[in-house]
Amino acid sequence: MNPDTPHGDTSRAAVCTSATRLRAPHGGGSLDGLVAALLADDGATPWPGRVPRRLETVLSSMPLPARAGVRAAAAALDGFALATTGRRLSALRPDERERLLGSLGARSALLPLFDVLKVPVLLAAGTERMLDHGGSRPGPALSRQDPPLDCTPADAWPARSTADAVVIGSGAGGAMAARTLARAGLSVVVLEEGHHHSTASFGRRTPLDRFTELYRDGGATVAVGNPPLLLPVGRAVGGTTVVNSGTCYRTPDHVLGRWRGAFGFELADRFDAALDDAEKTLQVATQPLDVLGNNGLLALSGAERLGWQAAPLRRNAPGCKGSCQCVVGCPTGAKQSVQLSVLPDACAAGARIVTGARVRRILVERDRPGGPRAAGVRVRREDGAELEILAPLVVVAAGALETPPLLRRSGLGGHPMLGRNLSVHPATSVAGRFAEPVTAWEGVLQSVGVEEHHSDGVLIEATATPPGMGSFVLPGLGGELRRELETSDRLATFGAMIADRPSGRVLGRDRTLLRYGLDRRDAGRLVRAVRAMGELLLAAGAEEVLTGLPATPRVRTLDELDAALEKVNGRQLHLSAFHPTGTAAAGADPQRAPADPAGRLRGVRGVLVADASVLPSCPEVNPQLSIMAAALTVCEAHLEGAEAAVAVSGGIG
Amino acid sequence: MSMRTSAPDGNHAPGSDTGTSERHRPPRRGTTFRESMLGRIRLEGEDHDRPVRLDLRVAAERVLRPLGTTPARLEGRIRVAGWADDPDATGTLEISPFARRRIRYRIDFTADGRRLSLDGWKSISPRRPLASMTVLPYTLYEDGRAIGTGTVRFPLTTQLLPFLASFRFPRREESAPLHAPRWDGTPGRTEVWYTTATDPATGTGIWLHHELVAPSDGSPAFAHGWAAAFPQDGPVRHARFGPTPWTRPAEGFSGDGIQAAPGQLSGTAGEFSWKLSEQPTDTPLYTFPRWSWRRPLLPAAQILPAARARYSGTLSYDGTTLTLDGAPGASARIYGHGNAHRWAWLHADLGDGGVLEIVAAVSTRPGLRRLPPLVFLRLRHRGRTWPRRAERAALGWAGLGRFRADVALPTWTVTGRAGLRRIRVEVTQPEDRTLALDYADPDGSPAVCRNSESADAHVLLERWWGRWRTERVWTLDGTAHAEVGDR
Repeated sequence: MNPDTPHGDTSRAAVCTSATRLRAPHGGGSLDGLVAALLADDGATPWPGRVPRRLETVLSSMPLPARAGVRAAAAALDGFALATTGRRLSALRPDERERLLGSLGARSALLPLFDVLKVPVLLAAGTERMLDHGGSRPGPALSRQDPPLDCTPADAWPARSTADAVVIGSGAGGAMAARTLARAGLSVVVLEEGHHHSTASFGRRTPLDRFTELYRDGGATVAVGNPPLLLPVGRAVGGTTVVNSGTCYRTPDHVLGRWRGAFGFELADRFDAALDDAEKTLQVATQPLDVLGNNGLLALSGAERLGWQAAPLRRNAPGCKGSCQCVVGCPTGAKQSVQLSVLPDACAAGARIVTGARVRRILVERDRPGGPRAAGVRVRREDGAELEILAPLVVVAAGALETPPLLRRSGLGGHPMLGRNLSVHPATSVAGRFAEPVTAWEGVLQSVGVEEHHSDGVLIEATATPPGMGSFVLPGLGGELRRELETSDRLATFGAMIADRPSGRVLGRDRTLLRYGLDRRDAGRLVRAVRAMGELLLAAGAEEVLTGLPATPRVRTLDELDAALEKVNGRQLHLSAFHPTGTAAAGADPQRAPADPAGRLRGVRGVLVADASVLPSCPEVNPQLSIMAAALTVCEAHLEGAEAAVAVSGGIG
Repeated sequence: MSMRTSAPDGNHAPGSDTGTSERHRPPRRGTTFRESMLGRIRLEGEDHDRPVRLDLRVAAERVLRPLGTTPARLEGRIRVAGWADDPDATGTLEISPFARRRIRYRIDFTADGRRLSLDGWKSISPRRPLASMTVLPYTLYEDGRAIGTGTVRFPLTTQLLPFLASFRFPRREESAPLHAPRWDGTPGRTEVWYTTATDPATGTGIWLHHELVAPSDGSPAFAHGWAAAFPQDGPVRHARFGPTPWTRPAEGFSGDGIQAAPGQLSGTAGEFSWKLSEQPTDTPLYTFPRWSWRRPLLPAAQILPAARARYSGTLSYDGTTLTLDGAPGASARIYGHGNAHRWAWLHADLGDGGVLEIVAAVSTRPGLRRLPPLVFLRLRHRGRTWPRRAERAALGWAGLGRFRADVALPTWTVTGRAGLRRIRVEVTQPEDRTLALDYADPDGSPAVCRNSESADAHVLLERWWGRWRTERVWTLDGTAHAEVGDR
């Protein structure tokens, strides 16, 4: 496929798009008008005209409510135009559209709605503009081949098979569990709902195309609450590690101490060795400065001027070329996502991966003496057919958002705390406009960590976005927005995530439904994080700071920022969230923890929880290493227990 | 296709750890049924499917528990067109339609000289009860490596009725407890343990008779008996032992150095000495109605703790030593008031798992003595016992249709019809192969028994299908065990 072809979508996406059109015959027209109005399309350049088609593609990968919401908003805008001018948006002249949008933008209550509407439009527009301005850079020649994986599509997997252990999910936890069990001599089958994407395939497609494919719900997983949070999670062989930033923090000692002391999570004692193992596997090292990029360098210089503690992050990307595409799959293969590091080891030890396999339920035998026992899994293929794999050990590593619904639909969701205790890292970002081009998308995506406020639960990370995928919601509508877009190369973006109280809940059986109520303390932390990032940007020499606040989108001094922040609370910020954890937490208290201190699900034998959901509380840092260490220790504890049982019984009869 | 999943876990019998309360008491009845399934298989490296047919016989050690899990054994035939036809496939079945929502088949068979195992299960779904109960997807393994996948279906239209009609719930009983002495101290009782066998190497018939007599006059009970050999080319030899006081052993017969316990027979009597081990190869056979053994209401009752058994060891007499190695035969038990007025007895090992046991007797009691012989005939053949109830042959329907015996020597016959089958048995006890012995009842009245452990028998079994058609014919030449007694 030619990466320069703007509409080089997969045939499936095209089918989805055409199907959507059939259902909503006027949707396309409304989207045309919406895009033309928001981007002030005057026909002078061709690329804005291609944005509606791109937007259709983006929407087609999103869940129905998000799709319907955008279409409804577009239709409402069209209807407003029809009511006030007698013509639809697309039929208006550019200046008429600008006036109409201006009248709506004057109403402050509508601004947050416009901000939500702008996100997919800016994604589509950024990509089309990037393609128009020379396209995405051709990926640098692959420095290495992907190590081999034993992947079988679910369609080619037998309807009935057996294994010693089934691992549900191939992310950080699942991969580590599969490797540990396979190395112990067990026959292991890893089940992954997503597909396998090779490094070479990443280099061939635009970041946005990859984004919609690599993320669950097209990246539009939303936690319902006040405010709603966007919580993107990956879905592919390698899980979210395919699309994370590669930042690898060890679990802080005070967090381990809390897990051990307050929660009775005994495995925390073994984390040191497990974290060493994970770091070695992922080749974690401090990011060298050569490809750090301007975004990171600005963060370092700002921190230096302020005397703040900051340094390049420790990452799992030896030989990183600074493609700034971590979050849509590293196109050079430098980032050691688990499908490039852990899963090949697992496959070498005999593990097999089944892709396109969504686990419908864990099969439980309830008539076993001694209580219910897991017996295997039932899996749905993409064509709707089902297959079953029997195994006496089922390792659940579907991620903190998918593990509780899976357990519920397996009849194992009886624990009152299952799905509760959801911690995410609520995050917000701030951009600074500089006099000189920053070109934040040339360099490492997440490059520098500023730990000055980490003890207060605020971790600032200089985080850019892939080319053409500005996640920062630029201020303004129409012409103003267009100008912001055209000068987005002068923006540096920082993100901050805060250690939150477990305020969320995962509901649902067949589909995940998230609820998250931002804690008052955490809202305050977010505001402080915005101020700290603004201070950092101004110290680095920013001309103005884009706050993301609808009422005060731009400030030029720290005083202005303070004044702007006085009037807001954290709930009015543009929030997203990452790193969901704790929904099937391990702990000593049977009332509070659905899993026991060794990571075994309570109420059934033969089910281990080995993903982010087993972590007792928020790890306060990017959690990949913590999840891998948890999976490793949970599986090792299980193997030791099995060995002890064999020793007691004198061998397997 | 290259699938390497783990092989069906051989060390884990299905449902092996199920059931808790049944541990203490073995289940009284089992379940057997037949099932046929048709379908297809795609073998590794082939581009077309092959038709498959499974014809399975299933035997579970307990009555099916629909809400629980029932493990069972499988035997049967697997046919894969152009590739495999193994009539001796074996395996296991895990029947758990509700508890585990799974009916799992694991079958080992041979195809093309290769040992293969088929592993698959029906996955029961309440949403699609019919389809999920009839469709069996499976994977075929060789040395733990998957070499093919396929699906077979239970064809409801043609197989449902035969399938349902094939269900049986046979009793399951251990033979060893049936060896234990029955006598409770009541005077006027007799109890017998006797074993008959035929040495296949020499054709010699063997008879070991152990008897407890509790005289009617209340004098102490005593044990006695005899051993006899019926060589093909020589005169019948026998030697008596006892009488010796009865010592109330816990299991079987013991007295005067002679022992007849479950699994072993040993002793010395005159020129005879023997030491044999007994290996039961069949379940108990109640020649008389089962209740008559549990509650001694009839004048006497006879049972076989194991309908067939194998004997190994040595038996010596008169300078001859027989070394038995799995010699076919059976042990039987009698408990009652004494011998019948007249009687005939046959034990015929028909081979191929079949056995025929007949007792035709006239009671000594006044009144009953005038009746024709009551015939108790039990034919165990292909896993079934015919007639299904012992009373059927003896009494018929209020006397109508009862089996008849014409007891005489050297040839006596039994005929009868039950259901769609009829049988004719002709037993010949040649004079030179017959041993005449004097019996004595507990009340002292005498009887004479003429026994041959190398008798001839001809058995004709017919089945009605428009007309009487021969179903099986067995001819035993010198291997039938028979006896005729009178006074």
